[in-house]
Amino acid sequence: MSAIALALLPFLPVPVRSFFRKVHGPRLQQWMLGGWALLVFAFLYIPILLLVIFSFNDSRLNIQWEGFTLKWYAALLENDTLIHAFKNSLFVASITTVLATVLGTVGAWMLYRYRFPFQRAIGLLIFVPMVIPEVLMGVSLLAEFVHLLKIPLGYTTLIIAHTTFCFPFVLVGVQARLHGLDPFLEEAALDLGATPLKAFWLVIVPYLMPAIIAGALMSFTLSLDEYIVSVFTTGAQSQTLPLKVYGMAKVGLNPQLNALSTLFIVGTIFLVLFSEFLTRRKSS
Amino acid sequence: MKTNPRHLLMASLAVFAIAGCDRPPKPDVAKETSGQAPMTKAAAPVSDEEKKLNIFGWSEYIPQDVIDQFTEETGIKVSVENYASNEEMLAKLLAGGGTYDLIQPSEYVIEGLAKENLLVPIDHAAIPNLKNIAPEFLNMSFDPGNKFTVPYMAGTVGIVVNTDLVKDDIKSFNDVFVEKNKKNIVVLDDAREIVTWALLTQKLPINDINDASLEKVKPILSQWIPLVKVFDSDSPKTALINGDVAIGVVWGGEGAILLNTDKKFKWVIPSEGTHLFVDSLAIPKTAKHPKNAEAFMNFVLRPDISKKISDVFPYLNPNMAARELLTPEQRANVASFPTADEIAKMQTFKDIGSQASQVDETITTLKAQ
Amino acid sequence: MAGIAATSAAATTAAATYKRRPGLMSWLVLFPLIAWLLLFVIVPTVMLVVLSFAEQTGLGTITLTFTLENYQRAFSWTWLKVFGTSVWYALLTTIICVIVGYPVAFFIGRAPASMRNILLTLVMIPFWTSFLIRTYSWITILSKEGLINSLLVSAQIIPEPITLLYTPFASVLGLVYNYLPFMILPIYTSVERLDNAMIEAAYDLGAGPVRAFSQVILPLTAPGLTAGALLVFVPSIAMFAITNLMGGGIPPTIGDVIYKQFTSGRAQPFGAALGTLLLLIFVVCLWGTRRQRED
Repeated sequence: MSAIALALLPFLPVPVRSFFRKVHGPRLQQWMLGGWALLVFAFLYIPILLLVIFSFNDSRLNIQWEGFTLKWYAALLENDTLIHAFKNSLFVASITTVLATVLGTVGAWMLYRYRFPFQRAIGLLIFVPMVIPEVLMGVSLLAEFVHLLKIPLGYTTLIIAHTTFCFPFVLVGVQARLHGLDPFLEEAALDLGATPLKAFWLVIVPYLMPAIIAGALMSFTLSLDEYIVSVFTTGAQSQTLPLKVYGMAKVGLNPQLNALSTLFIVGTIFLVLFSEFLTRRKSS
Repeated sequence: MKTNPRHLLMASLAVFAIAGCDRPPKPDVAKETSGQAPMTKAAAPVSDEEKKLNIFGWSEYIPQDVIDQFTEETGIKVSVENYASNEEMLAKLLAGGGTYDLIQPSEYVIEGLAKENLLVPIDHAAIPNLKNIAPEFLNMSFDPGNKFTVPYMAGTVGIVVNTDLVKDDIKSFNDVFVEKNKKNIVVLDDAREIVTWALLTQKLPINDINDASLEKVKPILSQWIPLVKVFDSDSPKTALINGDVAIGVVWGGEGAILLNTDKKFKWVIPSEGTHLFVDSLAIPKTAKHPKNAEAFMNFVLRPDISKKISDVFPYLNPNMAARELLTPEQRANVASFPTADEIAKMQTFKDIGSQASQVDETITTLKAQ
Repeated sequence: MAGIAATSAAATTAAATYKRRPGLMSWLVLFPLIAWLLLFVIVPTVMLVVLSFAEQTGLGTITLTFTLENYQRAFSWTWLKVFGTSVWYALLTTIICVIVGYPVAFFIGRAPASMRNILLTLVMIPFWTSFLIRTYSWITILSKEGLINSLLVSAQIIPEPITLLYTPFASVLGLVYNYLPFMILPIYTSVERLDNAMIEAAYDLGAGPVRAFSQVILPLTAPGLTAGALLVFVPSIAMFAITNLMGGGIPPTIGDVIYKQFTSGRAQPFGAALGTLLLLIFVVCLWGTRRQRED
């Protein structure tokens, strides 16, 4: 009951809220926000929970619960094609994230700090990969790779394509963070004798770090699940998971996928908590 | 001390990159693509090809254990690239992007491919198992004499009814698209299919679509489209199994899966008629390993292999020898296997060329109302 | 409070005036971005525009003639309506994402420093599952015999299952679900740098929570909010997989229409024309708003 009240609090009329504010202070505010955040996390994770539960479902079509089984996990471990596709996805997403993050961060900083000609044009061009429908991007990149640049289709072309639509997300995110940058921060560093490069690396980058991390997380997510652009820019060896999966709906999505996703999520959460544990150990 | 996020990020990325890195990109990817337009390069007959095969096929259409068995028996390494529609395949093939040895075109695409000289004639001597195919699936209009293709799987489009929810006796398209069934229907998200059904109710030719025939069926379509709840070509069975709709006009294979799932589903071939589709295997002009491709064709036509495919994909198996290996339940599935009379009444699609554009616009306009 | 906002405004103008003229090193550093834009954004876009003036014959061979028929075809009520629908859905998605996501971003940004990255990653992790199974999970939850309906019916809250799936509601739900992280993360980056001292100062000067929010917090987090809005609104216009799967494919969206031109529609140049128009409209709008802001 109180959780619901907490969650509804943001929508209550002003006098009620200011009463709460004056009476309880910022801690209540953080608790209310926490309650809302909890609801949103529940919203984000309920389909995932369902997905995990269904990875143990003894049913091929996986629409109704028919009993507990581990057979999908067993089958997954022998499904070389699926695992290879998944590894390809991870590989491509990782390299894409690195490239997109570097391109986006450095780009945002240079555009912010220096007055380049065509600045506004560049600012607009950055949005093109975001607006353009994926099939158009895929087809035009395919034509460019095959006829103009003569690059064989494979990991390279795939990574180039993914980086192209990922880096604008990083750039926009970093730009937003730059808006609040104290202009004299860099000046101070330069006054103390640092080169612009050192100032950038030791002063600006730490400031930008939350935006860089956010951008990296977004890039990784976008690349991992990209289908249409991948169809047109991949080679036979670099097939990613979505490519293998998308036609599966015809015979019913294989529950091995649920198993794969479950393992990956559990692994990632474990990794995150573990690294956090290590850092706390280090600091104590 | 604050978590050093940079380290966390780098560590995670490193783990992922390493996880993905166990198989470095094969160097032969560079060898495979020449970057030339497909039309200019003639396929040079190779007598001893390297033991490789590049298949470009529908996702999941060729079961993995069939591929594995082929590799086991012949030593030929197979790589599979997938697509989800004929046109996706065409777009990539025509752009000259990959070199594929084997493709899986549907019937209406084959005519066009042959006409534009994009296919390699197959050597029947290398494919003796072709004799397993039922005679009605050989020498079809889109590939006389099976010059370029061997049939893989066929199927129809028909009506599925959830008899728990719908008690009416539905026998035709006109029975489906009535006000009573409003928002209770799932149909294929395929403009040509929908227009074809309307044409069938008016006894108009389904392969000669012109402005006049489109005009005639527009009023019918404008009545039908608002009654549909879901447009789905990938998995229309989902909406039916979940109970969100009670009637569907879907692929035969989807119908077969539904019949296998629950006895409450009934399959009906519409009285106005329906069409037959045939997916085949063909060798594109840019193939580097045509002999291996022919070996695969022959392999897939073996009755035991064809049965494996039917087990996963309950469509209309044109392979007579394979049908004898199926279980009685599989053969009794009316969605998989219409009667010979019914098949005799079905037409196959021909390519309608630029009319496809008009057809697509007609349906989109109606959907957007 | 006005003074605090004014300080940040002053900081922004100060930043604008302190932009340096680029030297050789700067050009070299910016070069990768320019080269990338040129090679992989400008060139493909030009190819696209060229395609939009071409003709498609046969199975898919493109003949590079110059014809305006694709653009003539584009100017009809159908495509305008489809485009309008897509923009409307995108707008709705963005607004809902702001309302739902801002408090979450605020919470994460003000959480203890050690928790922030974990919380961020936890926001993202659901989207590292495959899109299709995620969406099919939602279908299982929303369908007539699915989770929600089963719960409501067995708890006797409703007599019969209600239609949740294959409706605009389901489409928007799916869109909001998939784009929420792209709203939360950018807003977070602005919230994270909020100085507690500034907010405390506002309260000390007598502001209530509403004024503290609207006069101090909101302006300071505006860049992140704008970024989030852009990163949700822009890509969701052409997104069609979600509306196809969860909305039943009704009404058609511009992304689906363009995709179909490359498949069953057999009209690639027309698809390119629609895409070019979309780009054009977008560029004009963005140019317009940038212009306004700089005045």
